[in-house]
Amino acid sequence: MAKKKRVSYIRGKGVSKLRLAYENHEVERHQNIEHYKDIVYQCGKCGTCRTVYKDAYWSRICPSGEFGQFEAYFLGGKNLLSWAVTSDKLKWSEDLAKIFYHCSVCLACTQQCQIPEIHHYAGEWLMAMREEAVRLGFGPMPEQARYTEHINKEHNPYMEKHEDRTNWLPSHIKQSPDAKIAYFVGCTTSYREQNVAIATAEILNSLQIEFKILKDERCCGSPVYMTGQAEKAKKIAEENVKMFKDEGIEKIITSCAGCYRTLKETYPKKFGLDHGIEVIHMPKFLLDMVNSGELKFNKEINMKITYHDPCHIGRHMGIYEPPRKVLNKIPGIELVEMDRNRHNAWCCGSGGGVRSAFKDLSTFAADERIEEAKGTSAEAIVSCCPFCLNQFKTHIKDNEIKAFDIAELARKAI
Amino acid sequence: MIDSKIIVELENVVGKKYVSDQPEIQFLYHYDFVTAEPEGICDISIMPNSAEEVQEIVKLANKHKIPVVPWVSGINFGSIATPRKGGIVVDLRRLNRVLEVNEDDMYAVIEGGTTWADLQGYLEKNHPGLRAGITWSPPGTGIVPSCLCYGMFDLGMLGGSGAEFINGLEVVLGSGDLVKVGSCSLSNYWYGRQPLPDLAGLFIGWEGSTGIVTKAAIKLWPKMPFREDFAALGLTIDKGVPVMLKLSKAGLGICDLVIVNFGWGSSVQELNEKNIAKDAKEANMPDFVGLITTQAYTEKQHEAQCEAIKEICKEGNLRVLSAQEGAEVITPPPMQLWGCWNFSRGGGGQWVGTYCSTRDIVKFYNLAREICLKHEKIPQFYSRILFGGHYVVARTNINFNKNNPEEIKTTRALLKEIHEEVQQLGGVVMYKPPKWAVQTYKNRTLPATTELIEKIKKLLDPNNIMNPGQGIGDD
Repeated sequence: MAKKKRVSYIRGKGVSKLRLAYENHEVERHQNIEHYKDIVYQCGKCGTCRTVYKDAYWSRICPSGEFGQFEAYFLGGKNLLSWAVTSDKLKWSEDLAKIFYHCSVCLACTQQCQIPEIHHYAGEWLMAMREEAVRLGFGPMPEQARYTEHINKEHNPYMEKHEDRTNWLPSHIKQSPDAKIAYFVGCTTSYREQNVAIATAEILNSLQIEFKILKDERCCGSPVYMTGQAEKAKKIAEENVKMFKDEGIEKIITSCAGCYRTLKETYPKKFGLDHGIEVIHMPKFLLDMVNSGELKFNKEINMKITYHDPCHIGRHMGIYEPPRKVLNKIPGIELVEMDRNRHNAWCCGSGGGVRSAFKDLSTFAADERIEEAKGTSAEAIVSCCPFCLNQFKTHIKDNEIKAFDIAELARKAI
Repeated sequence: MIDSKIIVELENVVGKKYVSDQPEIQFLYHYDFVTAEPEGICDISIMPNSAEEVQEIVKLANKHKIPVVPWVSGINFGSIATPRKGGIVVDLRRLNRVLEVNEDDMYAVIEGGTTWADLQGYLEKNHPGLRAGITWSPPGTGIVPSCLCYGMFDLGMLGGSGAEFINGLEVVLGSGDLVKVGSCSLSNYWYGRQPLPDLAGLFIGWEGSTGIVTKAAIKLWPKMPFREDFAALGLTIDKGVPVMLKLSKAGLGICDLVIVNFGWGSSVQELNEKNIAKDAKEANMPDFVGLITTQAYTEKQHEAQCEAIKEICKEGNLRVLSAQEGAEVITPPPMQLWGCWNFSRGGGGQWVGTYCSTRDIVKFYNLAREICLKHEKIPQFYSRILFGGHYVVARTNINFNKNNPEEIKTTRALLKEIHEEVQQLGGVVMYKPPKWAVQTYKNRTLPATTELIEKIKKLLDPNNIMNPGQGIGDD
């Protein structure tokens, strides 16, 4: 008997939903932890959140839990700790905050839980607990506080100078100063994965898209927001939206999954900044261009690759197929899947402030994903998030597998 | 509070990362977060990675006379992994390896902390022709505890209770000594518990109060090419049960026979108490639902078996639907029927779960139903016919809101009332029993039986450190 699909996605809501025949308990999103206290206790820490549910050989799915091992590091533990502090069974402490920060907020756990309210909304209280930690002075983690300070000064978390942000920009890239389309490069691409920026800009040029790179582009605020510093992130968002408006931007193309999620989802839904600007992620843009016939891949790239789903566009935004469709359009590319893919993808371990604050956890997660990619016998792991890409490049040893952004391959194929 | 020197000693055994006395970590071990049983106390949690490390931990606990509680996922309906007297919770999560699968003798040797997800995934990947019996509990729960506590699987008609799926054990005794029981004690094979004295009984049904199982061999079964799942619907339980018992004795390749009532639906994830009639009888809804699974080696055999099953159901005036016909309502449970446990959105659930004679199924249901309705609770009933119809499990679940102290109190009273009433049926014995229930059996056995149990407990756990406050051997 064919397996029935039990999970579907609410586009743009960043959460997935069980198909419910009867009552579906709607819960408001982006609220404080008190708002969720009557849901979290439903959890019986049954452990379903620890492994892929009925798929991918029931593989382990939670980097935080697999590294930390104790129940507290899995979603079940975090649910019940949230219940404990909201029902006076446990007091807030630095150690408690650390448990909640010891998580990349990849939300793989939520995909497995079969309790509808937790499946839909656990990501909300994982974030709300971080915000509460910040409110009480237990968060963010020291490393996250340091990069936040740098973002405030130099508008990037990489301890780089703001004036160097566009150093990657080669002279042959043609921009249109009056363009209403902005290529929002993002901090990681600007400072660490500049090949992605160049490839993206060259693709836009080759398609004769009139675009510009904002002269004063700044961090989108994702690393600040994801570490529970919602107020600070909101301030960044407000400044960015003002800049977009001042520059007359109507559409933003970004090659960064984190920036995409933040601009498209967090700004309007969390911060109430209904900017009205169309935000599009590079793979979707490429797919639209291919489908309309404006983009043709003429060159063969003979390579067996595997695709890594970034959490920020995958589980957070429900986008899984456009990158795959683009890759499958490139002549010579053979796309093979890892066992854990799409909503069951194992996180690369870089998000949620983990890479800065918990390097050992971050490395553990990256190593596991790289091993899984190698297991497919692919020559390269391809993603569409510069943070994932940089994480892989940092952890790949002895050139055992290559890592590319989808834009790099697309550029080569044009 | 446990002396910090002891924590250092434990850290020397397993490494600092795997020992904790942090309140945030202990919180998740002090209670099972499912039942209406009282909370316990966890002083230290520790995660060993080998039988030798378990031995060292138990020896240290003996030296300092500290309680030791074996733990895998810590959830069961009897709250038997809740540390009642503080001490060390030995979380076996790192002992989760599938060590061997013997395809010829059809068993898997697994470590004590292996979960259903671990084994199921391993078999799907490496031995797709074999399958394990699957429990309805969540995939993150432990196989070994389930077998040791007479859990039941979807192959129960073939193999009996979980205890009968055990071929052999490796156990760290309460003294810290390591023993092996079954064929593995004399050879490299774990094919069975014959023919030496069957010492597995020293650990089955003892609720972790005699030792910590570090390895176990579990029976596997061939995955048959043909399988069909039926739901048989009838107006009342007393009309449906005789048909199921007839099926249990008719062969027909039946590997699983389950009886649930209409009220069971209130535990389904997609429903809750609001969606379910309190009493199906009053609402004129079919109260009886029988789930029948049959499997076969050839198509012809399969067709004949299915035909006979339908015929027997029809004779008994049951409406029978195949999985395809019943669509999602009767989606067969390859692992869990309902996913996580959250029990009607209140997060709390506990049962009076019993083994009993097939003669008592209907009587059990009627007694439990009456008490539930008296307390304005939906009667939930579940029964599984085991080992070709030799005996059954019967149980009634109570859902409650675990965030509501009053409801917890009512649930406790209700469970005790049902327990007392069903005991009158004679052959009804609770399994995975919480302390308050298990102690009642001491008065019912022959004095020499109780004495023997106590002697065994003392022999295997001389300092009474193993899961104290739980199990029949402890008072």
